[in-house]
Amino acid sequence: MKRLLDPETTTGGASPAGVLIAITLLVFLFLFPRMVSDPYTLHIMILLFLSTIMGQSWNILGGYTGQYSVGHAAYFGTGAYVTMMLMQYRQVPPWYGMWAGMAVVVAVALIIGSICFRLRGPYFVLASIAVAEIIRLSAINLKEITNGAEGILITEIPPFKLGETVITDFLTKVPFYYIGLVLALLTIVITWLVQRSKLGYYFQAIREDQDAAHSLGINLTFYKNIALIISAMLTSLAGSFYAVYVGFIDPPTVLGLDISVEIVLICIIGGIGTIYGPVIGALVLVPLSEALRSNLIASAIFKTGIVSEESGIGNFLKENLAHAHTLIYGILVVVVILFMPDGVLGFFKALTAKKHKEAA
Amino acid sequence: MAILEIKHVSKFFGGLAANSDVSFEMEQGMVMGLIGPNGAGKTTLFNCITGYYPPSKGDVVFDGRSMHGLLPDKVCKLGMVRTWQKVRPLAKMSVVDNVMVGALCRTGSLKKARDMAMEQIKVVGLGQRSGFLAGGLPIGERKKLEVARVLATQPKMLLLDEVMGGLNPAESEEIIHLILTIKNLGITQMVIEHDMKAIMRISDRIVVLNSGEKLAEGTPQEIVGNPNVVAAYLGSE
Ligand SMILES: Nc1ncnc2c1ncn2[C@@H]1O[C@H](COP(=O)(O)OP(=O)(O)OP(=O)(O)O)[C@@H](O)[C@H]1O
Ligand SMILES: [Mg+2]
Repeated sequence: MKRLLDPETTTGGASPAGVLIAITLLVFLFLFPRMVSDPYTLHIMILLFLSTIMGQSWNILGGYTGQYSVGHAAYFGTGAYVTMMLMQYRQVPPWYGMWAGMAVVVAVALIIGSICFRLRGPYFVLASIAVAEIIRLSAINLKEITNGAEGILITEIPPFKLGETVITDFLTKVPFYYIGLVLALLTIVITWLVQRSKLGYYFQAIREDQDAAHSLGINLTFYKNIALIISAMLTSLAGSFYAVYVGFIDPPTVLGLDISVEIVLICIIGGIGTIYGPVIGALVLVPLSEALRSNLIASAIFKTGIVSEESGIGNFLKENLAHAHTLIYGILVVVVILFMPDGVLGFFKALTAKKHKEAA
Repeated sequence: MAILEIKHVSKFFGGLAANSDVSFEMEQGMVMGLIGPNGAGKTTLFNCITGYYPPSKGDVVFDGRSMHGLLPDKVCKLGMVRTWQKVRPLAKMSVVDNVMVGALCRTGSLKKARDMAMEQIKVVGLGQRSGFLAGGLPIGERKKLEVARVLATQPKMLLLDEVMGGLNPAESEEIIHLILTIKNLGITQMVIEHDMKAIMRISDRIVVLNSGEKLAEGTPQEIVGNPNVVAAYLGSE
């Protein structure tokens, strides 16, 4: 029989060693831009934060509440679009625009929830995809407000001032690094708080068995919508951040199905329904997709000499591997589901537990 | 005044009448046995009473209030809650967390919920198991967990669907004691059970269902002496 030792699902306090590690890590992350100024490294760190925010947001609805939305691009893209439209066409700075984005996303989420939560299991998944696609197509067709398929390019971000002092004018990656870090920490803290509250218990009860949860006094519609709203608001925040950081959005890059899939992947690969899962998922996926994009993997293959760069296969790899990230993600998911059903984190936990048993 | 009135309840699945025109009443604090051959419509009646399905016809009045249109969560808040014939543990949560989910129906504080949960875990005799994952418990303990969880919702009335099903005699005996303990707490109970000896011991009154219809109602003595009941059981087995 399985004795529960995992402190994550019990409300016991953190261990002193854990607290020490967390503080060291935090100090390191806050000092990082002072030690490393290479823009590409900072860029990778920012992507890690962004992925963590996206994964953690999905985690609340998918991981804790068990509602596998594959339409989170709807919230990511809506947040991105509202922020960008307000900034570009109404001169509203993004730190106000993101709140407007969240407000619109809550409305969108309530509409989506009222449609999708009538359905369970695979039907819920399909409905979530369909609704997100409707929003993507709307963004393409509502040219007057979204600029359609051409997308929106930022010409200038207004400097962020407190009183008269300019805090930052967004000319380097450093301000984005800190914003990303703070947002990532914020989503982690929110998840932690949810997990240790009545909400967390109710969300997990719904995930484990809806009928049992219902019979024990849990209003399914209400609590599923709460989970969705929290999840959608944080995803919207990620979308706003992404849009301002990259400076350009169009329907496929922020509302596409592959964004929805990527959000789910971050969680599934790391381990759903745990706080560390999305962080680990981001640590796996971001470097992987960067390696694919910059053709690192193809050149590594050529270096080993298995395939010659000049051969037909070599040319094929060079041209296609960079675009094959969706395929590679798919393979990754199959591997994770087959061999690590509880994600990378769960897999290593199970391994150490086994070692402990053998040692005892 | 009766705490529960079942008024001409019928439930149809397509052409099948899983319940047809069932009526009876229960007094506060009593244990009502609900028996009948497999497929008689016992579980369906529980589903109709606790809001899983709206009855096709008829009404259920609990504590003076019609349950018409209420969903299970609302029914639970009003003080009536059921267990599941096929147990439904929240598998990836610990035993105490499972029972806390029930307790959280009455409080927003995790600390209070934990205390309430530990109390009920002791009542059902799972004290040693509170930190174990619910999914890993053997069947006897899962059944007890079902009972602890519903007790934690502080109900006025419990509906127990075959809590002794699949248990060995020693475990069944524990459940019988548990039901009598719950009765002493003043909680009204309706109990579905196939074990006739057990049902005779715990029930104040018994309702017999057969093919969806109420075949008989009375004290345990009246039921064993009822030739229709004997025929229904012999006919079906
Ligand atoms: N959701 C449903 N849809 C269609 N038919 C159903 C449904 N639920 C129950 N039935 C049918 O209704 C009848 C009564 O079923 P029910 O589960 O209430 O019987 P029961 O008395 O609890 O039996 P058992 O002792 O085997 O648990 C059966 O014929 C069953 O097949
Ligand atoms: Mg039954």
